[in-house]
Amino acid sequence: MRQLIARRLLQTIPLLFFVSIVCFALIKMAPGDPVLSFVTPNMHAEDIERIRHNLGLDKPAYVQYFLWLKELVQGNLGYSLVNHQPVLDQILDRLPATAGLMGSAIALAVLLAIPLGLVAGANRSRWPDKLINFISYIGISVPLFWLAILLIYLFAIELHWLPIMGMRTIGVNSALDVLKHGILPCAVLAFSFLSVYVRYIRSSTIGQLKEDYVQIQYAFGSSKRLVLFRHVLKHVLLPIITLLGISMAELVTGAIVTETVFSWPGIGSLGMTAVRGMDYPLIMGITLFSAVLLIVGNLLADILYGFADPRINKAR
Amino acid sequence: MRKGFYGFLTLALLSLLISACSGGNNSNSEASPTGSASATGSAPAAEGQPKDGGSLIIGVQSDPTILNPIYAGDRVSLTIDQALYAPLFQVNNGKKTFYLADSLEPSADNLTYTLKLKSGLTWHDGQPLTADDVVFTFNAILDEKQNSMFRENLIVGGKPIQAVKVDDTTVEFKLPQVNPSFEATLVQLTPIPKHVFENEANIEKSTKNNAPVGSGAFKFKEYKTGEYVTLERFDNYFAGKPHLDSITYRIAKDTNSANLALQNGEINVKYLDPQDVSTIENTGKFDIKPYSEGRLAYLLFNEDSDTGALAKKEVRQAISYALSRDELIQTVYGSSDYADPAKSFVTPDGLFHTNDVTSYDNDVEKAKELLKAAGVSNLKLRFIVSSGNKAQEAASLYIQQKLKAVGIDVELQNMDASAYGQKFTDTSAKDYELSYAGYIMGYDPDAYSILFKTGANSNYARYSNPEVDQLFAQGAGEADEAKRGEAYKKLQEIIAQDAVIYPVAYTKTIVAIDKKFGGLDEAVLKPVVIFEDPSKLYLK
Repeated sequence: MRQLIARRLLQTIPLLFFVSIVCFALIKMAPGDPVLSFVTPNMHAEDIERIRHNLGLDKPAYVQYFLWLKELVQGNLGYSLVNHQPVLDQILDRLPATAGLMGSAIALAVLLAIPLGLVAGANRSRWPDKLINFISYIGISVPLFWLAILLIYLFAIELHWLPIMGMRTIGVNSALDVLKHGILPCAVLAFSFLSVYVRYIRSSTIGQLKEDYVQIQYAFGSSKRLVLFRHVLKHVLLPIITLLGISMAELVTGAIVTETVFSWPGIGSLGMTAVRGMDYPLIMGITLFSAVLLIVGNLLADILYGFADPRINKAR
Repeated sequence: MRKGFYGFLTLALLSLLISACSGGNNSNSEASPTGSASATGSAPAAEGQPKDGGSLIIGVQSDPTILNPIYAGDRVSLTIDQALYAPLFQVNNGKKTFYLADSLEPSADNLTYTLKLKSGLTWHDGQPLTADDVVFTFNAILDEKQNSMFRENLIVGGKPIQAVKVDDTTVEFKLPQVNPSFEATLVQLTPIPKHVFENEANIEKSTKNNAPVGSGAFKFKEYKTGEYVTLERFDNYFAGKPHLDSITYRIAKDTNSANLALQNGEINVKYLDPQDVSTIENTGKFDIKPYSEGRLAYLLFNEDSDTGALAKKEVRQAISYALSRDELIQTVYGSSDYADPAKSFVTPDGLFHTNDVTSYDNDVEKAKELLKAAGVSNLKLRFIVSSGNKAQEAASLYIQQKLKAVGIDVELQNMDASAYGQKFTDTSAKDYELSYAGYIMGYDPDAYSILFKTGANSNYARYSNPEVDQLFAQGAGEADEAKRGEAYKKLQEIIAQDAVIYPVAYTKTIVAIDKKFGGLDEAVLKPVVIFEDPSKLYLK
C-alpha cells in the first residue's frame, strides 16, 4: 500500500509538469493581450510598451514559461498581472467560500441521491423510477443559470424569503447570514450533482439486484427494504467513492456559472475574471491547484476503494 | 401511459412557471427587501429635504483592480476612487469645478501654471494635505520605476513637466513648451498621500493600497474580495460633511441576477442596458437617468485593407450615403432616447465640438452615383464583428442589408471578443474593411490626434492627410483659445469631408437610481464614475 501511494505521488510530478505546459501553451496561443486590459483610450504607446516590458510580456513565450517555472519550484505561484496581488493569497482567500458551497452541495447531493437511486433501481420501469428519472433528466439538461434565475425569482422576488446577491449582507458577519445566502446557490448545485449521482446509483442498484447474494437474502425471507438498505447499499456505495474523488477538484474550481449568477466570492468567479483579463499567472495557479486536488482526490478514492472492497487489493 | 405521464409532468412544470411569471406583475408594488442594509429607520424628514444618514449600494461588475488613482484604469476602480480620493478639479461642459484646488492660473506666456490648494485640507487619517502631496504624486507618476500609465501625459515634446512647491498650498507646474491640453492632464492627477507612500519602492504593489488613505467624501472601511467594498462618511471633508453614512460597491457579475437584486432592494444604483429599461421602469421604484457618456459609436473604414476597396474617399462617402443614421440608432439602441445622432468625430462634451459639419445620410441614388463615378462595381467588403456584442451584431446586420441595396456585398466575420480586440487594435491588419466601434477620448480634442494623425498608434482607419497632421500639431501647441478653436473646427470638417469614419451616435449610459435617494443633480452624473461628487447624495 505504501509503495502504491509513493509511486502514485511520484507520477504526479511529470503529470503536473505536462498540465502546466499545456495550460501555458493554450493561454499563449489564444488571441488577446493581457496588457490590453490596462489600456485606456488616451494612453500613450510608450506607456503601453513600458508596462509590457515591466511585466516581462515582451520576452519570448518559452522564456516566460521558464521564469514562471523557476518561481514555482521555489514555492512561488507568482503575482496577478492585473492587480499585482500574490496568486496563492488570492486562491486561499477565495477557497473557504468555494469549499463551503461545493462541500455542502456535494454532501446534500450524495445524501439525497443514495435513497433516490436505490428506490429508482429497485422499482425499475415503474412509476417511482420514472418520476426520479424525469427529475434527473431535468437536472442534467436544464442550464444552471436558468434554474438559478428561476429560483431567485421565486424565493427572493416573489416570496422575499432569501437574498440574491453575494455571501453576506453588507457589514453583517454571522454564520446564519452566510447560511441564508448559501441556500439558493447550494440548492442549484446540489440539484445538478444529484441528477448525475442518481443515475450512477440507479444502474449500480439494478446490477446488484441480479447478484446471487440478493437472491439468497430473498430466499431466506428478508424483506425487500432490508435487502435494499442493508446489503445492496454497501455495494452501491463503491461508485460513490469514485465520484467523490473526482469531485475533489470541483471542490476548489467551484462552479463558474453558479458563482457568477449569485455573485458568490469563490474560485470559480475568480477564474472567470482571470480568463477574461488573460491573467496567466492566476489562470495557471488555479489550474495547477485543481490538478493537484484532482490527482489527490483520485488517489484517495483508490485507497478507500481498497478498504471498502478488499478484492481490489488482492487483484493488485 | 408513458406519454401521458410525461405530458402531465411537463404541464405541471409549465403551469408553475407561468404562475411564477404572472405573479410578478401584481406584486411589484409591495417592497420589503430581504437583504437591504439601507437604514430606512432614521428620523423622518420632509420629502426631498436633504437629511443625514442611510447607506447607498451601487452595483458594479467586477472587483476593483487597485484602489489607487495613479494606477486605476478600469471602470470599477475609477468609480470607487472618485468617492475615496478627491480630485484637484473637474471639468463639465468646459467649466471647472474646484475640489482640492482653489484656483489654477496660467502665466502670460502659458509656460507656468500656478495651482492653489484650499487651506486646511486633511487626509482621512488626519494628516494635512499640502503642496508636498501634489508634488510627490506628480513625481511618482513621472518615475519610470513606479509604472504609472499616465506618465507620458506629463511629458511634452520629449521633456518632462516640472512640479515645484512654492508654499504649503501652492504648486507651480513648469512646461517645456506651450501645451493647452495640460489642464486636461491635471484633471486626471488625483493626489495620493506622501506620508503613506513615501518609502515604498513599488507603490503599485504596495500592501498599503489594501487600506487606502484618501481625501474624498468617503473613507475606506472594508473590502471583502469578490463581495463588496464599503466606504464610510468622512466628517472632515472640505466641502462639508456628506449626507450618507456609507456607500457600498457590491460586486454583481451577472447582469440578470443583478437586475433582480436591484428590484429586490439589494442594490440601489446600477447601469442598465437599453433592453432592460422598461422592466425596471415599470416597477415605479427607480429614477431612470440616461446621460451622455462622451462616447462616439461609429462605423470604421479600414482604408488600407489588402483589396484597397475603401482607399477612395468617394467609396466611403457612397457607403455613408447608403445608410440612415436614424434607422441605425433605432436598430441598435432601440430608441433615440439613448443615443444622439453624431456627425463630428468630437463628442459633445469635448471642447470646440460642432455637429454642423458635412454629413452623408440616407440617399441611395447619390450613393449609386458616387460608386459609378468612382468606377467601382461588384464591391465586396468584410465586416468584423465581436460575437455576443449586441450593438455590433445589430449594426452589422443592418449595414449588410442596406449596402446590398446599392450593390455592395458585405461578408460578416464573427469572432470571439479577444480575437476581435486583437484584430481591431492591430493597425497592420489588412483582412477586413468594416467594423462597428466606439471610443471615449475625454474633453480635450488633442486626445483625438492618436486616432487620426498619420501613423498614430490608434489610427485604426489608417487615415493619412498632411493637412490634418498639421492642424493637430497646431491645436496642441496653440495657447490662444480662439485660434485653437478654429483649428479644431476645421479638423472636424475635413475629417467629415474625407468620410474617414461614419459617425453614428453619441451614446448614452443609462443608470437606474432608487427613488429613495435624492441630490442627483448636485452629485452630477458623470461618465464612467457615475457620481462626480457623491457627498451630495442623500436619503429622502
